[in-house]
Amino acid sequence: MSAVATGRDQPLRAPRRAWGAIVYVRTMFVFALVWSAIAWWTDKSILLPSPLAVLQAFVDLARDGELFEHAGISLGRMAISLAIASALAIPLGLTMGLHPRFERIVDPTLEMLRPISGIAWIPLALFIFGIGNALPVFIMTYAAFFPILVGTVAGVRTVDRRLIDAARTMGIPQSTIVVRVVIPAALPSLLVALRLGVALSWTAVVAAELIGAPSGLGYAVEWYRELLATPQVMSFIAMIGVIGYLCDSGVRWLNRRLTPWAAGR
Amino acid sequence: MGGGAMSAASLPAPSRWWSRVATGALLPIALLAIWEFLGITTGGGRMPLPTRIVREAIILIGSGDLPLAILQSLGRVFGGFMLAAAIAIPLGLAMGYSRAVERNLDPVVETFRPIAAIAILPLAILWFGTGTAAAVAIVAYAAFFPLIVNTISGAKNVNPTLVQAATTMGLKRLTIIRTVIVPAALPSIGVGLRIAMGVGWTAIVAAELAVGAKAGGGGSGGIGQMMFVFYAYSIELNRIIVCMIAVGLVALLLDRLLRAGLRRAMPWVST
Amino acid sequence: MTAPASERKAAKLRLDRFGKRFAVTGAPEVVAVDNFTLDVAQGEFLVVVGPSGCGKTTVLNVLAGLDSPTSGTVAIDDRVITAPGPDRGVMFQDYALFPWQTVRGNVEFGLRYGPAGDGLDEAQRDDRVRRTIDLVGLNGSESKYPHQLSGGMKQRVALARLIANEPDVLLMDEPLAALDAQTRIILQDELLRIWGQDRPAHERRTVVFITHAIDEAVFLADRVAVMTAHPGRLKALVDIPLPRPRGDATRALPEFQALTQHIWSLIRDEAYRATVA
Repeated sequence: MSAVATGRDQPLRAPRRAWGAIVYVRTMFVFALVWSAIAWWTDKSILLPSPLAVLQAFVDLARDGELFEHAGISLGRMAISLAIASALAIPLGLTMGLHPRFERIVDPTLEMLRPISGIAWIPLALFIFGIGNALPVFIMTYAAFFPILVGTVAGVRTVDRRLIDAARTMGIPQSTIVVRVVIPAALPSLLVALRLGVALSWTAVVAAELIGAPSGLGYAVEWYRELLATPQVMSFIAMIGVIGYLCDSGVRWLNRRLTPWAAGR
Repeated sequence: MGGGAMSAASLPAPSRWWSRVATGALLPIALLAIWEFLGITTGGGRMPLPTRIVREAIILIGSGDLPLAILQSLGRVFGGFMLAAAIAIPLGLAMGYSRAVERNLDPVVETFRPIAAIAILPLAILWFGTGTAAAVAIVAYAAFFPLIVNTISGAKNVNPTLVQAATTMGLKRLTIIRTVIVPAALPSIGVGLRIAMGVGWTAIVAAELAVGAKAGGGGSGGIGQMMFVFYAYSIELNRIIVCMIAVGLVALLLDRLLRAGLRRAMPWVST
Repeated sequence: MTAPASERKAAKLRLDRFGKRFAVTGAPEVVAVDNFTLDVAQGEFLVVVGPSGCGKTTVLNVLAGLDSPTSGTVAIDDRVITAPGPDRGVMFQDYALFPWQTVRGNVEFGLRYGPAGDGLDEAQRDDRVRRTIDLVGLNGSESKYPHQLSGGMKQRVALARLIANEPDVLLMDEPLAALDAQTRIILQDELLRIWGQDRPAHERRTVVFITHAIDEAVFLADRVAVMTAHPGRLKALVDIPLPRPRGDATRALPEFQALTQHIWSLIRDEAYRATVA
């Protein structure tokens, strides 16, 4: 088609966002209406409570602190897991990326473990750790470990080998090279991998807490299900979704701040 | 992951495939040997050891228990997968083709996307009980999102000149969707299928584990449930590990099969 | 500039004071084409030449029915053009071949799914497809996919797909632009052959061809419409009385050089300005 001046999009950015928000609210409102209609029609509040009942339960849980208490516990576990996973995966990934011989030895073992999802580890982990804090942390660490490792290795690979060799021949110590050259270059890939790690880890927390923890959002969902308190069940599920979204947004923000040249969508 | 770039200082990469295999097998074999040794000298009778794991694997496969459990789980995965595809692909095509449709449905999709399938499981159990229906529902939910996201992307990224070409040949709107948009979106849909399959398999294991934990081992079948029974009732650690390995192998196999199938279905993609 | 009255009656395509403006937010309107009047006779090979941004593609889009005029009219056989249709086939710059179809699948596409194939049974369709593939010289490549073809071959497929629908008018938007110089010359010869320069004039189809290469324009055309930019206007209509059939010998003729120089002198200032503006 013919080339047209592209002044079109710029001035519309601010009002376009407001319009987007309006459409969002409108759609969710319609969704809530359809939900209410079905709830009223089936008339079984255990199966499908009305949106208002769920909202009420959510507010109550928030007010007496239970919602945030469990959320805090789950988040805390994820924070610890990510820290451990990073502490393990990043050095390992850096070493693998910089020393191909090392990678050739270690990689097949890791590739054999990778398809076994964190969730498949739950029964064995239950036996080792029992029900408690350690189980969710272990599962989440495992889940986050592989994406972070893969991302680190990929990031290291983007560095031009000759730059590293040149620095080495100039007598610059390896540690300085790693800190000043390799890590900044690997950062975009690493942050993308971190996003995936957070997502997988957060998914794992629910599974792990459902089965093997005495607290946390996953536990709360299951607890209220056994009580057949569906509004509460849905409230906690909603909370899981909200926090998952916030964590993802947080990492994306981190992407934009630390590596503005790479952050895309 | 695989071999990386070489620097001048280290040895050249082994070019014979057998020496590559030998290097790769070095670490696992060493670890297994150490494990076996430690286990025999220090561990008790219940401790899982490589040799015991192999023995249990032979028993489980020979008796048909393991293959049956895997087939049960696979059946549910395919059921959920088909269900998700039947909804996600047409919907995704519609959303990718029409901005209006996308604008109105996208909020709902994006609101539920962060909520993982496993979080929905208690709700599914509440609605469908602890049997196959709940498991299929969870897999369908899990597979839905990667499928719809990739289908929308595929439909949106159709080269507009292709649509123009078809328009100038006088084709009607619906025909264009059928003969241009859908084939053009197929590679993206393929990617979505692969991701959905992986997610679905993980979801079924998780669902069956959780159901096994809640239903007290009552027969709903599947490999996840089998794993839980081995944990909670017979405390057969070796058998748990056999199941874990099976889960990993099936995941790999599914991906390979799907990739091969997609390559055959789309001979024009020049990979 | 309009043709003499005797030719106006036989016009296949008519652009009458055609104009196109685009609204742009936050900037003054862009006038892509202004007061463009031109008749194209049946069986004529008309080439539109001009610097980048002069609106040549807009003219083509409007003839194709992919766009509509903001002023003036555009008509085929005295019928106003409102939408695309198989009577006007279009060839795009990037070939627009369907990657999932073989050569054969691409060529028969319009016949299979569009109105051009109405009234044809499968055998007739296959026959026409086969003959068209033979005409463009792609025998033996029917089962290949576009990604396996060279640029020149892709262009032949695009042309075959176009011709198979037997449109009254062929609209071509810089179809040879993406090819290397040698392939270009070969395809120019092929294009004229396929168009029917060896056949009597009444058997040829009407062609409107866009290019920015002046030598290409002079080689192919019966007439060259020279456009200027900012806004797009018809500056001149140059007759090309070079004898047909044309070939390598034509390119060596002094008349060929003279015409090329003449047209270049018409747009040289505009072209220069387009690179500095």
